[in-house]
Amino acid sequence: MPAESSGGPENTALTELLDRSVPADPVAIAAVVDAISETLARLEVPEQKRFEVALAVQEALANAVVHGCGNDPSKQVRCQLKSDPQGRILISVADPGPGFSPDLVPDPKGRENVYADHGRGVYLIRQLMDEVHFERGGSEIQMWKY
Amino acid sequence: MDINVRKRSQVQVIQLRGPLRMGPAVDGLRQTLEEALRNRETRIVMNLSEVPMVDSSGIGLLVQFLALIKKQGGNIKLANPSKFAVQTLRLVGVLKLFEIFDDDDAAVESFA
Repeated sequence: MPAESSGGPENTALTELLDRSVPADPVAIAAVVDAISETLARLEVPEQKRFEVALAVQEALANAVVHGCGNDPSKQVRCQLKSDPQGRILISVADPGPGFSPDLVPDPKGRENVYADHGRGVYLIRQLMDEVHFERGGSEIQMWKY
Repeated sequence: MDINVRKRSQVQVIQLRGPLRMGPAVDGLRQTLEEALRNRETRIVMNLSEVPMVDSSGIGLLVQFLALIKKQGGNIKLANPSKFAVQTLRLVGVLKLFEIFDDDDAAVESFA
């Protein structure tokens, strides 16, 4: 389980690889996820790591669209991809919503939730990434992959 | 995402190609499964060999319809799921809900 306190690896000397603001729309966020995958492929990031990052970004952006923007495509979500000199990857996803409390997300592996049609996004992010920080009351997520 | 549906030995075989994620892919598969239920087609094989990503909305759709179809005495069986689809389903604890086969033939024959 990744840490969720504020902080994370030293934020200096980060190289910005991608910065996109897109409408809160499933097709628009899919294009961002694909662009991140392509960027990481160009950097020769291994396939397994690319997959884990891409799925975590998909989940973070989907949460931003649904919960942060209420599926309103007139609103925008922002996604930034950065890396540090050690090759660690930082992804930030921000939305204009009021945020949420990640501690209130139910355990999707609980027996009563196993057939639920929602409620797995934050759990997946926590499993796939090495560090996860929720900022601005939960309306911004910062995710590190080492 | 491409969704190809064909019938084999009273079993509906659904071949998916592309990421199964929120948006047109999940919406399209939901329509396909709703139509199957309306037509009482409850023996379903879903081939996930060319699905490189299943997000949480895709997982939610699969388990929701698995439950609905099982209530009607049917099943959704998975054929040759990609390694990333398997990893994702395992990660959220739903892989064990599905019967998994190496290919369409084996999955279809299992309904006999």
